[in-house]
Order: sequence, then C-alpha cells, then structure tokens
Amino acid sequence: MEKPSVGIYGLTGCAGDQLAILNCEDELLDVAGALDIKFFPMAMTGNDEKCPLDIAFVEGAVVQPEDEQMLRELRDRATLLVAIGTCAVWGGVQAMKNEMPREEIKRHVYGPAGKVFETMAAQPLSHFVKVDMAISGCPIEKDQFLQAVATLLHGDLPRLPTYSVCAECKMAEHPCVLIEKGELCLGPITVAGCKARCPSHNRPCIGCRGPIEGANVSSEIQILREKGFTWVDIQNRLRTFAAEADPLKIDSLREALNAQ
Amino acid sequence: MRSKSIVMDRVCRVEGHGGITVNIEDGKVADVEMRIFEGPRFFESLVVGKTYTEVAPILMRICAICSAAHMVASLMAVENALDVTVSEQTRLLRELLVQGGNIESHALHLFCLVIPDLLGHPSAVTLAADYPKEVKLGLDLKKLGNTLQETIGGRAIHSVNAVVGGFGRLPARQQLEDLKEQLNKGLEQTLVAVDFVSSLPVPDFCTSPNIYAALASNGEGYRLFGDKIVLSTGDMKEIGAYKDVCNETVVPHSHAKHSRFKGNPFMVGALARIALNGKTLSGQAKQLEARLDLDWFFGNPLHNNIAQAIELLYSIENAIEIIDELLATGIKPEKPAEVTAGPGTGTGAVEAPRGTLYHRYRFDEGGRLTEADVITPTAQNLANLEKDLRVTVENSIHESNGSIASKLEMVVRAYDPCISCAVHLLEVNFK
Repeated sequence: MEKPSVGIYGLTGCAGDQLAILNCEDELLDVAGALDIKFFPMAMTGNDEKCPLDIAFVEGAVVQPEDEQMLRELRDRATLLVAIGTCAVWGGVQAMKNEMPREEIKRHVYGPAGKVFETMAAQPLSHFVKVDMAISGCPIEKDQFLQAVATLLHGDLPRLPTYSVCAECKMAEHPCVLIEKGELCLGPITVAGCKARCPSHNRPCIGCRGPIEGANVSSEIQILREKGFTWVDIQNRLRTFAAEADPLKIDSLREALNAQ
Repeated sequence: MRSKSIVMDRVCRVEGHGGITVNIEDGKVADVEMRIFEGPRFFESLVVGKTYTEVAPILMRICAICSAAHMVASLMAVENALDVTVSEQTRLLRELLVQGGNIESHALHLFCLVIPDLLGHPSAVTLAADYPKEVKLGLDLKKLGNTLQETIGGRAIHSVNAVVGGFGRLPARQQLEDLKEQLNKGLEQTLVAVDFVSSLPVPDFCTSPNIYAALASNGEGYRLFGDKIVLSTGDMKEIGAYKDVCNETVVPHSHAKHSRFKGNPFMVGALARIALNGKTLSGQAKQLEARLDLDWFFGNPLHNNIAQAIELLYSIENAIEIIDELLATGIKPEKPAEVTAGPGTGTGAVEAPRGTLYHRYRFDEGGRLTEADVITPTAQNLANLEKDLRVTVENSIHESNGSIASKLEMVVRAYDPCISCAVHLLEVNFK
C-alpha cells in the first residue's frame, strides 16, 4: 500500500496539539516513516501547499478570514479532515467571549491599531466545513493521536470514548471532587480520554476536552447551585473551553437554569 | 544595483505564523519587516471578570511550548496581588517544573529545528537517516523535559497540578528518585549532545551590537527566577517596573507589539542570560561555557543556539540539585496556601525558554480580575530581530534572493520565536 499523504496544519491556537504530536518522541520516527508528510511547517521546511492529501490534521480555531480561506481550500484538497484539539473541535478558550461584539473587544485590546486587521468570533472547524473526525483535548492526548494514525493506516476510524470523565474517574476510584469535596467539577459532562487527569491531582475537571453528546447540563447546574456556586461562576466554568457547543451556549444555559 | 523585494510568506520550523518582507532600493536596504499574522485571541479580555483560580489555566494557553513558564508567572502574579506566601517546597517544585519546560523547549529547538539547518536538512526526520544517533539523543532529551513536566505538573503541556498557593498532588519520593535517575542518564547524553552542537560551525553573517536583558537571580548561582531585571547597559529595574524596560509600540505590519528600552531594541533569551549571568554557572555547564570561550557580547544571534546548549546542561544539573534538596528534607504533605480573594495588583516574572516573561494583574474588591498584562519574550525580541534581519541583508546584499532568504530564516530560527506567544497584544492601562 502506498503511504497516505498527510498535512498537519495550525489555524489560530497555541500550537499545543502539533506539539503533542512532536511529543510522541518514542514513536515520532515510526509515524513519520509510515506517512508521507507533505505539510508540517512547524517541524519541517519544503512544504507542499497545493497537493491533494489523504488526511489533513487541523489544529486551532477560525478567528480571521485567512483561517477560513485556508480551511476551505484544505477541505477541497483533503479526503479526510481531522480536527485536533479543543480549539478546532469546539472553538477553545478564545471562543469564551464570542458574545462580545468584535469591534468592542478589538478596541479594548489593540486600541486604535486594531483597525488594521479583520477578525471574527472564534469558531470551530465544523461551522465552515465537514469534519470527518474530531480528537478533542487541550491539548490532545498523544495516545489518541497515535491510535487515530494507526486505525487510519488500516482504513478504519478510531473508537474514541463517548462517555464522561466521571466514568474514568470512578474506575480509578478517586474521591468525588464534585459530590464529596464540593468543588466546581465538570467531570459529569466532559468527554473522557484524559484518564481523569485533574481529579487524579485532587483538582476539579475544568472541561478542557469539551462536552459529551447528550450532556445533562441542567442536572450539572442544579448540583452546582445546591453546592452554593454563583450563577456567574458556574457559567464562567462551563463556557471556558467549549462555549460554541450547543448545550453550553448562553441561551441553552438560561433554558437549563429556568427548567429547574 | 537594481531594486528588488524578497517576500517570504511563511517561516518554517518556528512556532506560529510569521513571514519576512525585504525591500532593496538602489542597492540599499529600504525596509525589513518580520510580519506576524497569527490570528489574535484577545487573552486579556478573556480573563476580565474571572476569579483568581481561573486566570492561570486560561493564560497558560497563550502558548503550548512555554506553558510551564506562563503558568508559574501567572501564579506568582496572582500571589503577589493577593499577598499569598508559598512554602519553600512549592517554590522548589515550581522551579523544577520550569526546568522541565526549559529542557523540552531547548531540545526541541536545537535538535528538531536548528541542527537540520546547519547540516542542510529540511527536518529532523530526514536528518535521522544520516545522523540517527544524534536525532535519537535529541528526542530523548526532549522527552526527559516532558517527563519532568508530566510528573510535577500532571501534564506535559498545560499543567493541571500547579495552582495558586501550591500543588494539587505532591510527587512521591519514588517518583523523584526515578526522575533523578533519568536526569543523571540525561546528563551523560547531554554532554555528548552539546559536544555535537558546539562542534557545528556558527556562521557570522549577522553581527551587530546587542543590548541584553534578563532577570538577575535572587539567590546564589544561575537561576531562572529573580526580582530584578538586569540590562547590559548597566541598568537595573524591579520586576514591577518591567514597563520601563519593555516600552511597547504598535507597528502596522505585525499583530504583535515591539519593545524598546530607552529607544533601543534589546534581546532576551538564553544568549542574554548567559551573557549577563554566565559567571554564576556551576558544574559541567560552567566547564562547558569556559571551554567554548565565546564572546557573548560579539552580537551574533546565532550564538543563542550555543547558549541554549549550555542551558540544557544547566537545567538538567539544576533539576538534579532541586530533587536532592527535596529528597533531603522529604516531601512534606501540605495543602496549597490559604488564599483570601480581594483587591490587589501584582507582577510575576520568569525566565521562559525564550526570555523574560511578565504577567501582571489587578483584582477588584470582589476578587475579580479587572486588568491583565502579559509581555512575552518573543514580543520583546521582535524589534531586535528586525535589526538583525536588516544587518543580515546588508551583509549579503549582493547574493541571490535564495541565499539571502535562507540566511534570514536561520536568524529568525536562532531567536526561537514563539509567535503564538507574541500575538496576544495586551493593551496596558495600569495607572
């Protein structure tokens, strides 16, 4: 079989997902040997910007017209488009205040200099193009990336967890951060795959991997309110990493609150 | 000589999106611009209204490669604002975490980004065909830095374990002993690796006088922490007065501001640290520095690569010393220091892999953040980088565009720019 042609792209983000790939130190040379890497400017020169691709891994969110244009071109060139990292899958931290008018936020940050460039509310890739596979995480877990590469090489898609961080946390028998310690933990609604990193360090899950499908946000809010957290702090935590996810949009949260 | 332009849309093997434009008119360099077009993320607006616990997890996401330094600088700024004192054990563990970040970052830069340049390869992967041992060595060292961050910080990128006042979970004795063993092995590998790095030729097509800035160590020896900023001009400032050093201006061709000290560009990073604080090195790092016998004030930015190699040794040796200290006293089971939310303004500074990093916050009566300012090393270096790009073009003006372009790329890469970091563009309004 011919090696699949692959591109690794970064839109707007911290480059943490590309770095997580480079952090596969033990596997890096094998991965590079199994793939025909055409584009990975963070790690190599001589990148091909025009060739068709079997797989495009895309990190980061769309925050400026250039990002959108690049993403659309990439979609046309790639057979499979894989979103890597919470920014690409859900918009990430930069989407936290998307409800603020861009002109206002730009003036606040850049002053008069902000006029020179265009910017838009931070959006996940799926708002613009079809995404074939999503590996979330801030950053992605390198095991999940390696698993994705291995299954794609065999013509299949990886089986990523659909259950919550809570499930992983319970299996590891950590004391419950939400119920027992009464901390603002998002484990019940956040998608697993991190082996409950934060609870294993006596810390609450802050939702960096984005919500599970069918998340019961209403129930999460109810528990947090019973624990005495203010509505502002609950919203801040819920909307830190995946504010663009339907169940975490401001209107959805208000609905969830009113339903109680 | 005719007029011409060199436009490089994308500088590769650096973190983030940046390009270079050079205009030559009548045989003279008219403009040299490092264009930064990474998208803006408005971090300072994101944290307004948040409580003290939320700030560091958001702001360390400015950058993945320097996330440990961002995290620690952020925690220190919060603690300075809210008058929180941390234990000696917390201080040591944070230093260990920052050393892990320094090892990972320098190993990545030297072995994956720079050495391929010097040996004429497009990437570490193709380099591995000719130099398998050396590439493996570099990857092993990079992994060592990550293991350190993973063990102390709970994750190699974007630590989950370091919090305001201390740590969520403390490392077990066995974990520290394992780390020490790996660091000792890493030390042997590093000696081989730095011999290799320092044996490579350092071209001198770009030399000009440089002003350097770095934190002056609080205690004895070479450190990545300090309360004062020292400059090669002889000036000294408290970290709280960092804005006197990094006067920022907005330039039209960049989404990142430029810093100038008394109107002059200056350089931060490993080269600046070794130039200013190199005398305080000890152990094998000191011996290496003496053996190389380089004039760090020669003003060649490519010496930054060698300075990073020395720091690789230093960071590993220092990490071993810190672990020895922790093992000698034993890890005390302690909870993070008590924090009372309230009003306050505070600054935190750390020597990140690429240079001095400042975080400064203000909290209101209700304990919510009202203002944040972050000045990253790459933003401080941009003005100096443009100066060096200009020097490079002036010295190679009669060469082909391709030859000039590859030299410009080498200079950019020597600065090890972190463009995600540089583009946060915080408007500073402390009164």
